[in-house]
Amino acid sequence: MDTFLQVLTNGLMLGGLFAIVSIGLTLIFGIVKVINFAHGEYLMVGMYLTFLLATGLHVHPYLTVAAVAPLLFVLGALTQRFLIQPLMSARDEHVQIFATVGLSTALMNLALLVFGADIASTPSSGLRTSLHLGPVRILLGQAVIFVVSIALVAALHWYLQRTQTGRAIRAVAQNRDAAQLMGINVNWIYILTFGIGAACVGLAASLVAPLYPTQPTSGTYFVLIAFVVVVLGGLGSIGGAFLGAMVIGLIDSLSGFYIGSDLREVAVFGVFLLILILRPSGLFGRKNLAHVSP
Amino acid sequence: MQQKLKPALASPRGAIGLALVLLGVLAIPIAMDDQFIYHIFVTICIFAALSTAWNIVGGYAGQLSLGHAIFYGIGAYAAVMLTNMGITPWLGMFVGAFFAVIAAIVVSYPCFRLHGPFFALATIAFLEVFRVLALHFRSFTGGATGMMIPLNIGWEWMVFRDRLPSLVIAFGMMLLALAVAWWIRNHRLGFQLIATRERESAARGAGVQTVKVRLIGVSISAALCSLVGSFHAMYLTFIEPEAVFSLTFSIQIALFALIGGIGTVFGPLLGAVMLVPITELARGWLGSGALGLHGFVYGVVLVLVVLFMPNGIMGLVHRFLEPDRKPKAEPEPETVAAEPRRVAPHQVGDDIIRVEGLDKHFGGLHVTNNVSFNLKEGEVLALIGPNGAGKTTVFNMISGFLKPDSGTVSVRGTDGQFHQPVTPGDYAAIGVGRTFQIVQPFASMTVEENIMVGAFHRFTDVNDAREAARETAHRMGLGRWLDSEARGLTIGGLKRLEVARVMAMQPRVLLLDEVMAGINQTDVRRAVDLMLSIRDSGVSIIAIEHVMQAVMSLSDRVIVLNSGQIIAEGSPQEVVRDPTVIEAYLGKEFAHA
Repeated sequence: MDTFLQVLTNGLMLGGLFAIVSIGLTLIFGIVKVINFAHGEYLMVGMYLTFLLATGLHVHPYLTVAAVAPLLFVLGALTQRFLIQPLMSARDEHVQIFATVGLSTALMNLALLVFGADIASTPSSGLRTSLHLGPVRILLGQAVIFVVSIALVAALHWYLQRTQTGRAIRAVAQNRDAAQLMGINVNWIYILTFGIGAACVGLAASLVAPLYPTQPTSGTYFVLIAFVVVVLGGLGSIGGAFLGAMVIGLIDSLSGFYIGSDLREVAVFGVFLLILILRPSGLFGRKNLAHVSP
Repeated sequence: MQQKLKPALASPRGAIGLALVLLGVLAIPIAMDDQFIYHIFVTICIFAALSTAWNIVGGYAGQLSLGHAIFYGIGAYAAVMLTNMGITPWLGMFVGAFFAVIAAIVVSYPCFRLHGPFFALATIAFLEVFRVLALHFRSFTGGATGMMIPLNIGWEWMVFRDRLPSLVIAFGMMLLALAVAWWIRNHRLGFQLIATRERESAARGAGVQTVKVRLIGVSISAALCSLVGSFHAMYLTFIEPEAVFSLTFSIQIALFALIGGIGTVFGPLLGAVMLVPITELARGWLGSGALGLHGFVYGVVLVLVVLFMPNGIMGLVHRFLEPDRKPKAEPEPETVAAEPRRVAPHQVGDDIIRVEGLDKHFGGLHVTNNVSFNLKEGEVLALIGPNGAGKTTVFNMISGFLKPDSGTVSVRGTDGQFHQPVTPGDYAAIGVGRTFQIVQPFASMTVEENIMVGAFHRFTDVNDAREAARETAHRMGLGRWLDSEARGLTIGGLKRLEVARVMAMQPRVLLLDEVMAGINQTDVRRAVDLMLSIRDSGVSIIAIEHVMQAVMSLSDRVIVLNSGQIIAEGSPQEVVRDPTVIEAYLGKEFAHA
């Protein structure tokens, strides 16, 4: 029973990790309607930045978020302005996919060129300490990620629902042309959204780097999981993405323990495919089926 | 981003260029006789073949697969496993191809509903599943340690001391892939695949079995990739799951097609010819000191191509081949060659369609409520009614695009029996053709090719279809625009193209959805003449129409639909005087005026 509880807790903690990595992606996905294949590389870049700042300035990795999140915001905004925006009117979706695939490949290999294939370990600064909660143990860092991911969901929800800019963002997501007619600067909204989405990844990176090794391919695994989470949660639904992340975290943890750790991905991607095929609006998504034929 | 798809071979300069490229791929390594150069050119052939095969799915059918390494990997594993059992890869490669086709069908069939990025994501997920399973079943695949082939040298084992025989085989595979891609592009399958990519519903309306053609396309593509995978495994003599079931590898396959010109026959070849040497040389010269450099170059080139050369190398080639191709000034519309009107009233025969009790709800909205009517052979039946009356919904139900909640649609076949078709394909097969209210051209195809898609409903041969398409185009007054892309037509032209495409199917029943809306008076008169000439050629017509001038002069009978119910039926003169009809259109106060 204790083992089961521990596996369950591990699943939830993993879910928190997946959630914090995926929230930015679902925001970009839902608003700009672009699948950003370079999302994982944003995380990787953020983790390297955290590593460099934390080791260079000898500060706690969490403090680096003050620099990492704004830098990622700029990276995201630049991506939108100079890569996606020129392609927004492209008739063919292939173009945007390839553009972000190209960016992803370039960033990953750039990291390989600069840092080599070796692992960069950000100092864990006590975040690997175990907390005992009744029968289960969790790492301090994991608990922080879990709490921050909930806070981030709440903050974004508040921002989108309650602020004027947030309303503008939602309007653009609903109907780009109508929003433009209402005087909203659509291109600026897209740049802002992409920036915020990337900044969320920057926040995630500073929290993740102390717990997980940083290497050029760090992003690849996370980006696939993030796609799974986003589709599971329903396109662009931030709360849905959080719940989706929990589901995937639990599946990952339970299948890893009870089926075999090397088959976790089969379980995760198997569930993903089933959802995509049987319930394309996602587990928690409203009907929004522009991407499937009836 | 797909440019005009006329094969480059149509021009002699294109044919010579292609021959030179192919000759170069074979002759340069033989002339230089260097191991490394041989290796580069074998790699070019491998990637050109894979990318050409990918293009059948990713380009023609427009389904962005990033999981093609699955098929390559199946071929590789099949060949290596069977070689280890003492079976020659010349046989093993076909075993691999067989399993690749099965995998392709299993992977693609459930994913066809998914569009664009979602299809891509699903193929990635399948690829990951294959990779993890290949790693897991160690006893079968050797797991992470991979598999070697026994070093039996000779043609029967596809393993050689020299590089020349490998080059010959790789070159042969590339030629095979190119020949298959070229053949498909110039035959019915290619037209249907591209039509499916451009507008799925219009393709179905034109009688294309979209699922079937996609499955055929993906099966051919998978089989080719598998054959290449088998050979590549023999060439490399070692395989492992991380290398063969690799996302990076999948992306590379798609990348060459994109850079060369996605959807074109020879673009993938050019992409591979240009890019493989650059990256292989960079890898060779810079060695491990510049780990990641070639990947970085790939990524940057990809981004630049997407931004500044979206039609790829073939886009440039086309500009070179047809330097003086300017958009033609819009010529005067031709007069429609309508046959002379018969003076005697035309014959109206027995029922050809019987619609009984159609009901349809959209959520809480009762869109059609117990709609029943019939259409007689040789009759023109107009379906009118205010906006939102449910006219197009009725059309969708009598052409298979919507399933009624209850009620039946029976169509008399050529055998004289009534049948109840279900899918759009069934309706097309029994001779019911339809147009769409919102025009659905295959935008990147020429007018001729658009109409040919309809003509392929009757013809398998490409020349017959072309002939029929030209004839239809001239009849519809589209003759001048045969070689223009459909996207360049005016709205009137597009409406005629809709009709032309369905006329090329030679339907017995024609469903026209507002073909006269938004066109000018002259065009309306011409359209009316055209409809009458179509009717006189023996086609029964149901037309949704708002242009009353057309309704009055065209129709034998009119049905008025309001809020999902038939409120009046009769001759055009009767119906326009009916108070309930006036009320439905104008409101109560006008009904008794």
